[in-house]
Amino acid sequence: MFCEKAVELIRELQRISDGQLPAFNEDGVRQVLQEMEALYEHNQADVNETKSEQRADLLPSIRLRHCCLLRNQRCVGAYLYDRLLRIRALRWEYGSVLPANVRFHMSAEELQWFTCYKKSLASFMRSLGGGGGLDVTQDMRPPKSLYIQVRCVKDHGELEIDDGTLVLLKKNSQHFLPRWKCEHLIRQGILEHVVH
Amino acid sequence: MESQSYLPVQPGVCMEENFFSLDDILLSHQRLPIRTEVSFPRLGFLEKSSDSPDIPMGTKMELPLWLSKGLYEQNKRMLSVELPKVYREGWRTVFNADPNVVDLHKLGPYYYGLGSQMLRFDSPENPEIAQTLLQTFIGRFRRTMDSSQNAYNEDTSALVERLDCLEKTLFVSGQCGLNSFQGWEKGQACQLSASSLVLNYRKRKITDVQS
Amino acid sequence: MSNPLSDNDPNQEECQEDDMTPADLIAKLEEAWLNEKFSPELLANQAEVVECVMEQLTHMEANLQRVKKGDPKASIHRMEIDRIRFVLCSYLRSRLQKIEKFYPHVLEKEKSRSKGEPALLSPEEFAFAKEYAANTESHLKSVALSHMPPILQTLDMLKAVPAPCLDSFVFLRVKESQENILVEPETDDQREYVVDLEEGSQHLMRYRTIAPLISSGAAQLI
Repeated sequence: MFCEKAVELIRELQRISDGQLPAFNEDGVRQVLQEMEALYEHNQADVNETKSEQRADLLPSIRLRHCCLLRNQRCVGAYLYDRLLRIRALRWEYGSVLPANVRFHMSAEELQWFTCYKKSLASFMRSLGGGGGLDVTQDMRPPKSLYIQVRCVKDHGELEIDDGTLVLLKKNSQHFLPRWKCEHLIRQGILEHVVH
Repeated sequence: MESQSYLPVQPGVCMEENFFSLDDILLSHQRLPIRTEVSFPRLGFLEKSSDSPDIPMGTKMELPLWLSKGLYEQNKRMLSVELPKVYREGWRTVFNADPNVVDLHKLGPYYYGLGSQMLRFDSPENPEIAQTLLQTFIGRFRRTMDSSQNAYNEDTSALVERLDCLEKTLFVSGQCGLNSFQGWEKGQACQLSASSLVLNYRKRKITDVQS
Repeated sequence: MSNPLSDNDPNQEECQEDDMTPADLIAKLEEAWLNEKFSPELLANQAEVVECVMEQLTHMEANLQRVKKGDPKASIHRMEIDRIRFVLCSYLRSRLQKIEKFYPHVLEKEKSRSKGEPALLSPEEFAFAKEYAANTESHLKSVALSHMPPILQTLDMLKAVPAPCLDSFVFLRVKESQENILVEPETDDQREYVVDLEEGSQHLMRYRTIAPLISSGAAQLI
């Protein structure tokens, strides 16, 4: 049956339902596009024959191929669109710099989309409050206290806090730090919030 | 939920399909028994059991829902769609007697989704099909909700194995609510946590290395 | 929430021309926040509230700088600032999320809006939405659509991206009593009927039915 390759792209995403991004299946997309080209050429030929030789009996097959063309278009569109939603999530979970192993799964065009998205979001945040700016990717949970106890999950170098003090984030060290300084680092899994 | 940043396109409601929804695309890949009412020249290779160059009129075969629906919407006289067994009268009687005894995962798993889509094809049985779908859902809903609200910290695989896809989604969202409520009661709601996406990536990286 | 620091603030904001105290302002923000969080569709923007709250935060920050280090009052004020900022960010996030999720519909609604109607999007949000649309559509075009047969090179994004589901049910609290609200039937064998909503009462209703009450401020989503 036609369109099997296209639905395979969809299954690939559906298997990873938590939002992780599988590697871009360039080959799969290309195969679907090739199938579309073939379907279209067959239809063109049959359409011409319908006209020149009065072959109205070819119409059902033309319609069937047309349905397949639409189906392929839908699957590829949905594949790309869902991937963009996953890439969007990466900006919110990781911040604007992505680890290499994540970037590795994106196509060149997707990287470009990510860069544009990141820029749009940044200029939106900068323009808030008459140009004063506000980072809306912070404060993801309602604050309960100003300072929190955190443990370093891995080495991360130095962190400067409000009053200019430098704190060395060394693996397994514990610190008492301002919550808003730690939020991103906790999301990225570098620090761990210790609750007693 | 603000803690989840990946927000996939939701499946359509009732008879609607959402164009970009992965669930709807997979649902419409379900195969339906049909009979061709015209001949499809030069497409014989789609019907593996014969080696004719065409699909002759009157051929009984299976086509995916998206194709049956697409053809039917262009011209209702190209094929007749047979109702899959679970929506026929025999099974409807079983469903109406006690919807809780049926294994909708085995019979579906898109029992409601496919059933709603079947209403797209004009059939005199449509009102009864719709009624059975609704009554089955209502009849099973209480049990689905109860079990999702009462299974805390336990293996839920036995609870969901007989559920249809739609019911499973409801079960999961019920569990989500229960877990966040329990977390809030324990005072964990204010605990900042690492993004689950980030943690899953890290897990995957480790398994990548191992394999 | 009141803000004791602004009592001795010499340069009271312009936003307070219409007698809005900081407490009123925060209450307004919280209302907008809850409505936006629970409504299935994007609501009209509250750019003035956002702007005033931002100014308020700046003032509070500035005042905090003047408080002596180690003063126990300082940490209470700091906490207050953090809480307001959380609500503000959460509100703006909910809106961004919906703008992205429904972008073709949001832009379409904004385009077809008549002159007198309040804008759905703030200027910043409008810029963001337009960029998001252009970015996404050019991605689909360059990777796939432009390589497809000529008749399939365009996608109607208004059809492809689902619109908000206005039939979802929401919880609401009535702020001003309403009479004769028409409730549409949920199934074929029901008939439509009218209800009166009393001030202070809470209900679970279809969003579509009560959407006008939310935009007029006669009811609040909870």
